[in-house]
Amino acid sequence: MRYEIRVEGQMSETLAKVFPELDHVLMAGQTVLFGPVVDEAHLYGLLSRFQSLGLRVVEMRRLPE
Amino acid sequence: MAVTDENGAEPAPPGVGPTGDPLLRTRFALPKRPSTFLRRARLVRHLDEALRTPLTLVNGSAGAGKTLLVADWAAGLREPVVWLTADTADRAPGVFWAYLLEALRAAGVPVTADVGCPAEAGRVDPRTLTRLAAALERRDRTTVVVLDEFDRVTSAEIAGQLQFVLQHAGHGLRLVLVTRTEPLLPLHRYRAAGEMTEIRDAELAFTTDEAQELLTRHGLHLPVSAARALVERTQGWAAGLRLCALAARQDDHPDTYVKQFEAGRSTVADFLLAEVLDRQEPDTQDLLLRISVLERFCPDLVNALTLRTDAEAVLAALHRENAFVQYLGHAWYTLHPLFAEILRAHLRERFPGLEPELRGRAARWLRRSGALREALVQGAAADDWDFTARAVVDDLAIGRLFTGLRSEDLSALFADMGPEVRGPAPDLVRAARDLGRRDLAHGLPHLRRAEEELARDGGEPAPARLGLALLDALAARLTGSPEQAEHAAEQARLLREDIPAELLDEHPELTALLLTHLGSARLWAGRFEEARSALAAVASQPGGAVMALPRWEALGHLALIDYLLGWPGRAEQKALAAAGQAERYSLPRRSGDGLVPLVLAAVQLDRNELDEAQALLAGKAGSHPYAEDPVERAGRAVIRGRLLLARGDARAALAVAGEPVTADVASPWAQEHSALLASAAHLARGHPELAGEAVERMARHRIACAVEAARIRLAAGRTDEALGLIAHLPEEGRPGPAVAVRATLVRAQAAYESGDQATAARLVARALLDSRRDRLRRPFLEAGPWIHPLLRTGRLRELAGGWLVPGPVRPAAVEPAPPGRPPDLVVEELSARERDVLHRLAEMLSTEEIAADLNVSVNTVKTHLKSIYRKLGVSRRAEAVRRAREVRLL
Repeated sequence: MRYEIRVEGQMSETLAKVFPELDHVLMAGQTVLFGPVVDEAHLYGLLSRFQSLGLRVVEMRRLPE
Repeated sequence: MAVTDENGAEPAPPGVGPTGDPLLRTRFALPKRPSTFLRRARLVRHLDEALRTPLTLVNGSAGAGKTLLVADWAAGLREPVVWLTADTADRAPGVFWAYLLEALRAAGVPVTADVGCPAEAGRVDPRTLTRLAAALERRDRTTVVVLDEFDRVTSAEIAGQLQFVLQHAGHGLRLVLVTRTEPLLPLHRYRAAGEMTEIRDAELAFTTDEAQELLTRHGLHLPVSAARALVERTQGWAAGLRLCALAARQDDHPDTYVKQFEAGRSTVADFLLAEVLDRQEPDTQDLLLRISVLERFCPDLVNALTLRTDAEAVLAALHRENAFVQYLGHAWYTLHPLFAEILRAHLRERFPGLEPELRGRAARWLRRSGALREALVQGAAADDWDFTARAVVDDLAIGRLFTGLRSEDLSALFADMGPEVRGPAPDLVRAARDLGRRDLAHGLPHLRRAEEELARDGGEPAPARLGLALLDALAARLTGSPEQAEHAAEQARLLREDIPAELLDEHPELTALLLTHLGSARLWAGRFEEARSALAAVASQPGGAVMALPRWEALGHLALIDYLLGWPGRAEQKALAAAGQAERYSLPRRSGDGLVPLVLAAVQLDRNELDEAQALLAGKAGSHPYAEDPVERAGRAVIRGRLLLARGDARAALAVAGEPVTADVASPWAQEHSALLASAAHLARGHPELAGEAVERMARHRIACAVEAARIRLAAGRTDEALGLIAHLPEEGRPGPAVAVRATLVRAQAAYESGDQATAARLVARALLDSRRDRLRRPFLEAGPWIHPLLRTGRLRELAGGWLVPGPVRPAAVEPAPPGRPPDLVVEELSARERDVLHRLAEMLSTEEIAADLNVSVNTVKTHLKSIYRKLGVSRRAEAVRRAREVRLL
């Protein structure tokens, strides 16, 4: 599975390193992270990491293979 | 023997809480509000509703200011609240409830001893929850319980248990959950019933006025328009506002700084935290990054990590400025979890590779301070397995991998230890984990390797060798090798002299586990008296969570010994004491069921309570996480076989008797019992000659086999031979009633068959007298049809009345038996619970009322009712009550 997750605001490079498994690009007022997600557990783990870093997820979608 | 007073209180060892965690009090502390804290009246007013609704939810994102809001509100209440900050380890129900009970006690809520306390991570006994709810409900005041960081408790099982306690405690409990995520309680129901107070992100968000006031307290004076823009940018997020104030205050032009931030597009916390961090003194920055690896810290620990001496002043200043650290009291601090996460990201970037070193240093400090579990967690996170394994072994804590609330946690820490880590301590830990799972195939090679390594390196300290002795004793128990167990125990005895007494006193579980294994191995070998002395030493020790498992096991073994010697009453008493221990400490899960239900089933079988015996046996059969040791396997086989036989399935019983129990040495009692079972099964299938063969070999030296052999000769009409066998019973000490009664009945049968009615009656009377107290019905049922007419006459009927044949004989109570229907030989005894139900039935309570009264489900009551009807041979309530009065059950 590949996912694309948008969070509010532009993340610093330091913070982006917390998600080494994902690539990221900065957009207008958003950061888009994308990459492989192993399974549901990984997905929920990612969400809880976003939350514990004070990041707001604005959109999340599964990418077509 | 010292186990007679096992039912009641036991002294807890001084100085150690049931959870044995010296840092625990930091989790019960209300976080202190910093001087910059802003009390918001609208939220406090809303939170006051929490006193009126059973459940309150303060649900908001990280850094929304939830914890401080609730702490401030709680500090203003007249009654102290119970505060528990959840931990990720609390996912296991046993751990969660143990800490919550401890938090209640720490806050002065009287929780009586009968509530108990879980001693295994994975399980809490339902009775503990029921009693806790009842204790809270009975209290003359409402108990407010705050669970902070409840999002860390992800278990649906715990949510269900909380819901249960909340429901049953009624007005006695007000639960406040502070969490980032929606808890798994049925919130819609509480909402619909108006029984929930809810404060969520939108309400937690700062208004412009509040933001302005907060910033002022941080020394930043902004016009309303700027405050409004800032609230918009941060969406009123408390952490964002605070960080912004801290960053701006240190800037030369705070107003411009805020404007720039407002116009920026960065993620708020991440950006601002980096800004604030950059504005700290370099030393302080370094300190903040380093302590981000710690969950909680005190100045001395921080000094150890930063190699400085001034941590106390720095921490105090950081707390004063409300920058990052929260104060927990007693000189302990914690980082705000949001900031800790971000700081760790900075640490990894700025000092790659430093994290393991920091964790290793923290681990050593924690170990020195007696916080072994925290030390091991850090050691494992640092990947420093040599240290971590050594800490367990050298601190004599290897027994903690087997027993105690955190045993599973501790054991799981080592799951990541790779095979490349070598040395005696890592191999001992590996062997302990394998043997704890009863995995001999992996455990024994690890154990042998540890032994070789210890032998090679003569300088290894005594604790490692004592750990080896413990594991040797366990291996000996699992393989059924009494000599090896004796050797291990002797080694341990010598080694203890080289170990400081304080260290031994700190770890009573090590010796207790070792003696239990020794006792089990001796029991296997049939050396009952020696087994007893080892086991009684364990059972008579004071309690506590780490001792719960060995004490429970020791009591189970003692009960089995009594049973095997023919004393079912004593066996039952000890087994019930063990069961009480299990209930109190929410045992067992990891440890399997052990011997207790086996012994209880065996006693019920002797009483011919076949359904109860079946239920006890079936309880968890098949769901055992681990293989059983030889004593358990042999015990289970014997009882399962006897039950099958009692149910009339001789073929299956015979198959069970033929199942071998593999062990290094043979066990005399296991052989005897499987021979008895085989013999009885052959007899039942009409093969007396095969039956004879089964027991003949052992008839010379085992009483029960001699009695059985005599019985077979009687059946074949060889009365004189039978009497000869009985007259020269092998000396085996004084057997208990279960054995003696069977011998007496064989004599009685011999007398009966040689026409001596008077002697037969006298002997049956003696057998009845010996059995009456324990209600041993099985020997009479197995005796054969000759005994039935005797039991219906005169004095024998009087002796048997009420427990073996219906009713005590009183002229008025005797009803003429309906023609064609033989009088019941046996009225099945009602269980204690069934009697409870019956009494309430007689008081005209409905099924629902009985369920509520007994604190069980309606279905359980229905099951009891069915069983009562069956036992009394009736089909309706009124009949049951009438019949119960007739047989004087009421």
